[in-house]
Amino acid sequence: MFFATPVFASEAAAHGAEHGHGALFSIFGLEVSSVVTTMWGLMLILLVLSYFATRKVELVPVNKLQNMLELAVEMLLGQLSGIMGSEKNAKRYFPLLGSFFFLILISNYSGLLPGAGHIPGLQAPTSTLSVTAGLAIVVFFATHFFGVKTKGIKYFKHFIEPIPFLLPLNLIEEFVKPLSLSLRLYGNIYGEEMVLLSFAALIPLFLPLPMMFLSLLFGFIQAFVFTMLAALYIGTSTAEHHH
Amino acid sequence: MEGLIALGAALAIAIATIGPGLGQGNAAGKAMESIARQPEAAGEIRTSLILSLAFMEALTIYGLLIAFLLLGKF
Repeated sequence: MFFATPVFASEAAAHGAEHGHGALFSIFGLEVSSVVTTMWGLMLILLVLSYFATRKVELVPVNKLQNMLELAVEMLLGQLSGIMGSEKNAKRYFPLLGSFFFLILISNYSGLLPGAGHIPGLQAPTSTLSVTAGLAIVVFFATHFFGVKTKGIKYFKHFIEPIPFLLPLNLIEEFVKPLSLSLRLYGNIYGEEMVLLSFAALIPLFLPLPMMFLSLLFGFIQAFVFTMLAALYIGTSTAEHHH
Repeated sequence: MEGLIALGAALAIAIATIGPGLGQGNAAGKAMESIARQPEAAGEIRTSLILSLAFMEALTIYGLLIAFLLLGKF
């Protein structure tokens, strides 16, 4: 479809050969690119962090790491409760939504590491459409899976509401959701990387710094927006009363 | 021909920023007004503001994508 060739062709052309694309090596015929190795590194970081934060969980934490992560998780849970109606609802889907937030946040920030995009093996995963499309497809299936799980066969009734005439429009809407979700994340992070790259090509010292501060803000907002929209989609598909 | 492609790419992103820029400015201004009028509702207003900004942002991103696609044609 749309994500297959043209975007990647332009990506490869704009990045140039040195921008860490192409395969580094291959396992069982599957090509492993810089994005994949960066993703492995990020997964490792998240696993180690959560292991050390929850190794000895206490009610009144002395472990500073546990304290910090608890604060982050509680703030995110509070925001999600506001969107999904109740804290009980938000807690039910928190394993999925929380993983989205933290994974997207650190993969956005990994593009700010020195040499990201230049040296092989390090490139922000969310700056490629294949990664963001994968995340959006997970949201797409999760939305309908949880909808059917909570409401049974009655879930499909909302496609012919308010009148059956609107069925095609409702179907299109369902497919536009993951498309815009993936394009928003990819476009923001990729555009940011391109601006940073051209600033660094102009004057390598100090000039990219203001843009990097902005990237810190944008990376957070994009991760937040992705999680909020996923929560909104899942929340509306599992809501008891449809308007 | 290449000049036309470059012009097309520049116009794609330039025009795509106008509408969402106006819309986002309007939404942010209205949100500020309502926060000033009702500071206790600031949290809820901020969340729905960010969500609606994200939907408008998507339109600009489509323009940016088209610009990148055109640049890939060089």
